[in-house]
Amino acid sequence: MADFPMSPKERHLLDSILDQLIPGSCERNIPGAGEIGVADYLAHVAARRSRFDAALRRLLARASELTDGIDSDAIRRLEQSMPIEFAELLTESYKGYYSRPDMRAKVGVGAHPAHPSGYEVAQESAEFMGSLIEPVRARGPFYRDPSIAGGG
Amino acid sequence: MASDPVDVLIVGAGASGAAIAWSLLETRMRILCLEQGDHLQDSDFPSRRDDYELARYAEFSCDPNVRKLSQDYPINSEGSCITPVNWNGVGGSTINFLGHWPRMKPSDFRTRSLDGVGEDWPLDYHALAPFYDMNDANTGVSGLGGNPAYPDYTPPLPPIPIGKLGQTLAMGFNRLGWHWWPSDVAILSQDHDGRQRCVNAGTCDLGCAAGAKGGTNFTYWPVLENAGVELRTNARVREILVDRNTGLAKGVLYHGSDGQVHEQMAEMVVMACNGVGTPRMLLHSTSRLFPDGLANSSGLVGKNLMFHPLTGISGVFDEPMKGHEGPMACSILSQEFYESDPSRGFVRGYGLHSGRSTTPMTYALGGFGIDDPIPWGAEHREIMDNVYPYLAGLTVVTEDLPEEHNCVTLDPELTDGDGIPAPRISYCLSENTRAMLKHGEERAKEALLAAGARRILPNDSDKVWRRAGWHQMGTCRMGNDPKNSVVDGWGRSHDVKNLFIVDGSIFVTSGAVNPTATIQALALYIGDRIKTNIGSLFD
Repeated sequence: MADFPMSPKERHLLDSILDQLIPGSCERNIPGAGEIGVADYLAHVAARRSRFDAALRRLLARASELTDGIDSDAIRRLEQSMPIEFAELLTESYKGYYSRPDMRAKVGVGAHPAHPSGYEVAQESAEFMGSLIEPVRARGPFYRDPSIAGGG
Repeated sequence: MASDPVDVLIVGAGASGAAIAWSLLETRMRILCLEQGDHLQDSDFPSRRDDYELARYAEFSCDPNVRKLSQDYPINSEGSCITPVNWNGVGGSTINFLGHWPRMKPSDFRTRSLDGVGEDWPLDYHALAPFYDMNDANTGVSGLGGNPAYPDYTPPLPPIPIGKLGQTLAMGFNRLGWHWWPSDVAILSQDHDGRQRCVNAGTCDLGCAAGAKGGTNFTYWPVLENAGVELRTNARVREILVDRNTGLAKGVLYHGSDGQVHEQMAEMVVMACNGVGTPRMLLHSTSRLFPDGLANSSGLVGKNLMFHPLTGISGVFDEPMKGHEGPMACSILSQEFYESDPSRGFVRGYGLHSGRSTTPMTYALGGFGIDDPIPWGAEHREIMDNVYPYLAGLTVVTEDLPEEHNCVTLDPELTDGDGIPAPRISYCLSENTRAMLKHGEERAKEALLAAGARRILPNDSDKVWRRAGWHQMGTCRMGNDPKNSVVDGWGRSHDVKNLFIVDGSIFVTSGAVNPTATIQALALYIGDRIKTNIGSLFD
């Protein structure tokens, strides 16, 4: 059984909405959320969370009534008319999009799992760090110590 | 069902429970620790998964009300602008803490004498200093000695890299002539004691799969279990039992992994359940002798709850800041505005912490600890392409003053999975804190601009981070006067002579620094006092 059964028309509608929420960038070769199939992630979530399933169904039903097509104005109307459902859709769409390693890499973060590779960050040399902190050191002690006479 | 009695029964296997167990090892007493959660296996750490960020909003959320794991208890925080966060399991909240490790400062222990607010602690910085050092060595703390904002000490390991982001901000502070210093961190800058150095994964809150972060699951517990300390997991304490004749604690009732309620007797009970869990358990342990909760003759169990209210300011720079590379919370720390200055319009002070930025999903959803997604549409594309990579930020971490109306009580309806009442949090910001946050925001903007930020992102100054109640302090405070405190100067209950508390609930004031270094130093100090006074411990 599919996670969240959708007709081809509904799927196209959801993809169009997603491409409005997280649009791609031709210039940077970044696809939109609909284009990369975030709808599959949403269907997966809907199958496990009845509240989201209901919200998604209501949103799609309302969106299907938008006869002028799906553009940013239509999405804004959807947001205004169903703010709770829309907020859930937005949150899950961001999760679906940015949980993909390839999309993470598009904004400059490693596609790999954080462990075990991590990132190479060069250790500052003692000389560099010494010169950077020199003005701070030069101020001398910089705290109140009531156990020292006059330190309070 | 009853088990063999033990000498020392510790409730909670987090930061403080592990530290005091280590301190008491040399006594050769039989030590048992009951922990409501379990060990985390290597494969359980989400940072090894491709979709690791998703865990932050599900089974590895810092918020137990989101996680809803079987070992978690719900927390009713509807009456609070900050919700407590934690981890329940071996390591406690050191599993998902960020490892930032500043010490409290000498003035923090004397706020009444110096500034006329809060109360003075029954001990001072210098009494605690050897235990800070001892704990730093056990934990593997990295940092740079000679910080002029403290009496002299040197962390055992060299500092972790501060990176491009830290260097940039440091130059801004230098231009303003303000204090800053590389942060002390419970994160290894080099391989140490069989643990691997930090790989700069940037996901400290998702548990450190490498063991570089000084969670007690990697530091104290392997040593303790090898030495014979018994750690009984999936064991949720229900109530502390009291001998009706002597008034002493005689053990606990707990729900075991077998689903049964067990009785565990002990000569001494040590509470190490954090500033919410410990008062919850004391308030739930009522009896004919203690009708208002155990150790509560002062009426202060659960009162004076302190967090560290936070807000963040971000600047957009011309070059990528690579803020996701490196430990999340710690690069550099400015304490320029830490000490009181009457001209600022508030008492006490705050730190400016350079957080690194976070991963894309968390940023898009509003940031760490915040549920407020960034805009959708063209604005979304613009932000993720032209703002997110170029961000550096400063977090304003304010001292919270003790106020009795900020408190932990028992919820009359909400319970955990075993029917134990959940804690209910009542908490609001004081005017002093609001003034401090406002001042901190303005100074943070100055520092970011001095560091070269081309613009500052707008911030809603009326909001603090909600999911930011990491630091839970003050709810069973120390003191010499039994009418005005719950435990004495070495963590022993004024009312129940064989009941000790070693977690953040015994803090008298909060300082404006992450508390774990102090929590563990205090636990070691209390362990030392117990050993010193062992001959007359329950007199």
